[in-house]
Amino acid sequence: MTRTGDSALRWAGPAAAALSVLLSSTALAEVELYQSVDRNEVGTEDTFRLSIVVSGAPDTAQLQFPAPEDFEVLSRSQSTQMSYHFGGGGSSIKRVQKYELVMRANRAGTLTIPPAVLTTADRTYKTEAIEMQVKKGRLHTSPPPSPRRPTLPDPFRNFPVPSFPDPFGDLDDPMGFEPEIPRSDSDLFLRFHLDKEEVYVGEQTTLSLYIFSRLDVSSIDPVVMPKLEGFWSEELDSPSQLIAEQKVIDGVPYKAYLLRRRALFPMKPGALQIQPAEADITTGLMFAAHRSHRKSNALAVKVKPMPPGAPAAFSQGNVGRWRLANELSQTEVALGQPITAKVVLEGRGNLKSVSLPKLAAPPQIRVYEPTTSDKPASVKNQLGGKRVQEYLLMPQQTGTFTLPGLSFAFFNPETGAYEESKTDPIQVTALPGAGGANAIASGGPTPTSPDDSAKNKLEPAGLKPLRYQASFAAAAQPLWSRPYFIPLALAPLGLWVGATVLAMVRGALGREDEASRKRKKARAARARLAAAEKLAQKGTPDEFYGEVEKALLHLLEAKLGGPAQGLTRPQLDERMAAHGVPAERRAKVLSVLETCEMGRYAPGGGNAARGRALDDAEEAMEGWESR
Amino acid sequence: MIALLAISAFLGQAYYTPEEAQALFSQANDAYYREEFSAAIEAYRKLIERGRGGPDVLFNLGTACLADGRLGEAVLHLERARRAGGPSEDVEANLAVARARQLDQVIGASAEEPFLQRLAAATPERAVSLAFLSSWIAGLGLLGLCRYLRPGRRALAAALAALSLTAAVSSGALVAVHAYVSRTITEAVVVAPALKARELPRESGRVSFEVHAGLKVRLLETAGQFVRIRLPNGLEGWTEKEGVAPI
Repeated sequence: MTRTGDSALRWAGPAAAALSVLLSSTALAEVELYQSVDRNEVGTEDTFRLSIVVSGAPDTAQLQFPAPEDFEVLSRSQSTQMSYHFGGGGSSIKRVQKYELVMRANRAGTLTIPPAVLTTADRTYKTEAIEMQVKKGRLHTSPPPSPRRPTLPDPFRNFPVPSFPDPFGDLDDPMGFEPEIPRSDSDLFLRFHLDKEEVYVGEQTTLSLYIFSRLDVSSIDPVVMPKLEGFWSEELDSPSQLIAEQKVIDGVPYKAYLLRRRALFPMKPGALQIQPAEADITTGLMFAAHRSHRKSNALAVKVKPMPPGAPAAFSQGNVGRWRLANELSQTEVALGQPITAKVVLEGRGNLKSVSLPKLAAPPQIRVYEPTTSDKPASVKNQLGGKRVQEYLLMPQQTGTFTLPGLSFAFFNPETGAYEESKTDPIQVTALPGAGGANAIASGGPTPTSPDDSAKNKLEPAGLKPLRYQASFAAAAQPLWSRPYFIPLALAPLGLWVGATVLAMVRGALGREDEASRKRKKARAARARLAAAEKLAQKGTPDEFYGEVEKALLHLLEAKLGGPAQGLTRPQLDERMAAHGVPAERRAKVLSVLETCEMGRYAPGGGNAARGRALDDAEEAMEGWESR
Repeated sequence: MIALLAISAFLGQAYYTPEEAQALFSQANDAYYREEFSAAIEAYRKLIERGRGGPDVLFNLGTACLADGRLGEAVLHLERARRAGGPSEDVEANLAVARARQLDQVIGASAEEPFLQRLAAATPERAVSLAFLSSWIAGLGLLGLCRYLRPGRRALAAALAALSLTAAVSSGALVAVHAYVSRTITEAVVVAPALKARELPRESGRVSFEVHAGLKVRLLETAGQFVRIRLPNGLEGWTEKEGVAPI
């Protein structure tokens, strides 16, 4: 297919008219034919430009372009120049036709472009063949320069126009890429394009799907997009009409049609794949229409994890460039009246994944659940927008309270660092309401339905206050675990047992034998005799003689080892005799007992008789004890 | 700033007189009300380290930790305050606030602690121990006195001795409960933000569940760096010793 370049089309009309007028009166110049390439050494992926120039050829001349097997002709263009010469020999016209072919080698090696042939009515002209050195791959990164129109000077260049910083000025032009022309289907192909192939988790990369065509596209059946696994996807553009955009790729003019544009936010680190999209494309019109199935290229995205050191308040979805603000409808309010607080987050990033900080308020202000509204926006295909959380605040007490400042931590992929956007604390003053306690105190009519919201509510809330004074003490060991506790508890038992043992010992030690009992009785007898001696002067005869008698009987019990009380005198005499008491002593004892009995029952004799009885008793006892 | 400098000066001392301790306590309280919670917490801790602790300091330390968002430490110190000074309204209120902030909800836990623990918690250990000692000594003393008294007075002494010995038996039982609870039940609080409970006491052990700061658990046994914990609903697992602090 032969196509005429833009410049040729633009200038060919008027030039042809002038040429037809001039040709009638002037002669054509000599025919010239030559061909040249812009470079002789290319890669198999490079395109190059073959120029064929025909000068002074008649209208009937036919040019045969070289048809090399080893090269692919990607495009052709033609331009014509006319020049007039006025001299002594008359005027002459020279028409120069220039054909440009954009070509690409099919294989590596030393290849030859065959000559172009121009055939006129009387002669055949031939150019030289051109030898090309073709290497594998791409040798030239920049495409061959395409012919450009001269640019006109900017008429407003000297005007003092103030320049404003463009917040999205750093964003790339979405069509600022040049796809590689495929070897097959080079006239119609689908291409995926990502503006960034290496991003952080949560950072936007924009995926665009284009059709590049050198044919007239009439319709496209529904495009089948891949699933885009691992990405959060938001549609940016999905044109309902095909709008062509001129695009020169490697010097070849194409029409580019945008089919889909999506903002992708990777959700996990690693290498994520984007599978090809597919579409059925109809080219041509009516009966010449042709339907083709095309498949785009696949892409890979390298997703980097966010660096360590995230702030404590950071949430995973907070990625982008954000600014936090808060505002109150009023800072002074009557008790019972609500205040509206707005927390606004604005910027660039995935608005749906960000988490706004929660508005904190002192316990004296009741905070109701917020309503959230999102206003997504995209500028130059960068998704962003504004999220507004609207809180209703209701002061519960009068006074001035502080709503603490908020902080929104986010990861900025442009700087690769965590940043924080903070707001300032705001003070709110709640004043006594008109219908509250004040109104009742003023003695006015009692409201029929008192408004509880206007009361100064003093509810217990929050933490109990600190203790103002302290009694300092080290951590005390339990009393029961202290070393003295068990001994102290056992001590009374020990004392009890000890006393019992002591008593038992004393009991055992205090048991009397016969001799000691006798001694004891003898001591008792002497004690009685001493008592009788005291009674000798003052006591009654009964007391005196009773004591003397008891003293003697105790002595007898001690000496004879048995009871003496109640025995008759013959019995006493018999027992004394049995114990070997001499008759004289027995008589003496019995005599004293007789005296005592007489003294008790027949008193008389006075103190002298008492003295004799006492002496007799002492004599009997001493004599006996001395035995 | 001046207050902070004053607190710093006090913190360097190795011993506090009662006056210095009270001054540091007041400064820590002031720091708390200025919302300088870290400074307040540090001052309270120093008081405890220097032997100037007690239920009041423990309560304020727990409350400051709670205000600073250190949930695990807050519950720990408030529980210690309750143990040191017995139940009180402010300790219970702040403990309720701390429990409301806890992440863990133990399903199937009995609403109340076991009877013996409740009995031990409800009776002050020191008073019970003193009551036991005094009634025991008095009872036995009166019993001994009965031997030396005349029959008329003996009955009164015996009645008093019986009364004292009855009191000694009941207070002695309470002392035994305190000793049993103290010796056999070691309670602790999770202080780490999150703690994995494993089936076996090793790093490779399968994780049974995860607990979070502020949860009160019982320590059962220790094996190396691991300790076996039991939740109030009977759930058990081995976890890192550093993550829990005994009350």
